Amino acid sequence: MAKYKCMVCGYVYNPEVGDEDAGIPAGTPFEELPPDWTCPLCGVDKDQFEKV
Amino acid sequence: MAIRELKKEIYEVGALDWDRRLFDELIPLPDGTSYNSYLIKGSEKTALIDAVDFTKKNVLINNLKNLGIDRIDYVISHHAEQDHSGEIPEVIKQFPEAKVVTNSKCKEFLKDHLLIPEDRFITINDRDTLTLGDKTLEFIFAPWVHWPETILTYLREDRILFPCDLFGSHIASSELFVSNEGDVYKPAKRYYAEIMMPFRNHIQKHLERLSSYDIELIAPSHGQVYTRPEFIMDLYKEWVSDEVRNEVVLPYVSMHGSVQKMVDYFIEALMKRGVEVKPFNLSKTDIGELAMALVDTATLVVATPTVLTGPHPVAVYGTYLANALRPKVRVLSIIGSYGWGGRMVEQLSGMIGNLKVEVLEPVIAKGYPKEGDFKALDRLAEDILNKHKEFKII
Repeated sequence: MAKYKCMVCGYVYNPEVGDEDAGIPAGTPFEELPPDWTCPLCGVDKDQFEKV
Repeated sequence: MAIRELKKEIYEVGALDWDRRLFDELIPLPDGTSYNSYLIKGSEKTALIDAVDFTKKNVLINNLKNLGIDRIDYVISHHAEQDHSGEIPEVIKQFPEAKVVTNSKCKEFLKDHLLIPEDRFITINDRDTLTLGDKTLEFIFAPWVHWPETILTYLREDRILFPCDLFGSHIASSELFVSNEGDVYKPAKRYYAEIMMPFRNHIQKHLERLSSYDIELIAPSHGQVYTRPEFIMDLYKEWVSDEVRNEVVLPYVSMHGSVQKMVDYFIEALMKRGVEVKPFNLSKTDIGELAMALVDTATLVVATPTVLTGPHPVAVYGTYLANALRPKVRVLSIIGSYGWGGRMVEQLSGMIGNLKVEVLEPVIAKGYPKEGDFKALDRLAEDILNKHKEFKII
């Protein structure tokens, strides 16, 4: 599963870790994050992320 | 400072800061500001909504004493930023039975920033309620207005929304309620532009959610209380919408007159074509004015000379801010001049990654602008006009 990086603040979404604060369990691929999921560090939308 | 009554048993007990002229050592405050704190006395429990900036510590505590408050059960913390939380440690020291009510994220921030111990907190979840006896508080999680932890509170029986920074404005006024909406428009827009604009998409969702609440008063954490909630909510709907205006915002700086000449020519070229233009001389302008103009403009054009092979640092500052504030601007270009060389365009272009814009071909003059440069400025004005026609805003 690929990691994705926020182009605004540099946060890296790691699917193996998920995003617990937003209720995203570990093992969730970036593609399956809900459309309204946002960067936990700076609040931007999914479309500001790029594959790393 | 005078205690002001919102409704029976509900008071504003915070502080007015008439003299403050700069926030975050960055944002100009032409009208001062206020740090609003609200006291709600229920039949069984008493709650304080937010505190004040630590510079106003005596004001809040004295207000509570003057009101004869000898017990506070809950301190609702909407937002950990110090202008609202700075005095929470003093409040819980003076009122040892008080618990700080907030969400888990805000709790962590308050522990980090204000060293409030774990055992003073009650942690709540979205949509939880807290009863004060005859009054009920409902918590609405609203992340990113403008930190990730932000909470709003709705007081059901009195139909008051306490939205923290959302809908706020930096105004110091002895009048608690908005009496002239025209006076509030500009400070509210300035506040939106400087603080809330980067989170436009989040606010769209929050507004949708708030539309199901029956709200009589909106009591924000800065500025005055709205007695006509639709006034500020409708403005926010407009500002966060995807609609843009037939405008060009033109931040510029000129050292020896070349860029000034290009800017003057370009302003006329746009005016002739019926495109509104808002120039800002970056060496003189209040950045809040620039931020406000960015709220609904369709196009941004930055104009700068070349200094030390790059853009003028003042233009870098303006561009950096525009990028960080993430306005809904759709079109961007650059005007500039140089003496013998440099990488001004590349450097500025590399600074706008947050903006989802189409970049129109820049106009760069070698030295003082000449006929070819003026033609290029006409071409850029024409390209902008065509884009605005495409957007159906002219």
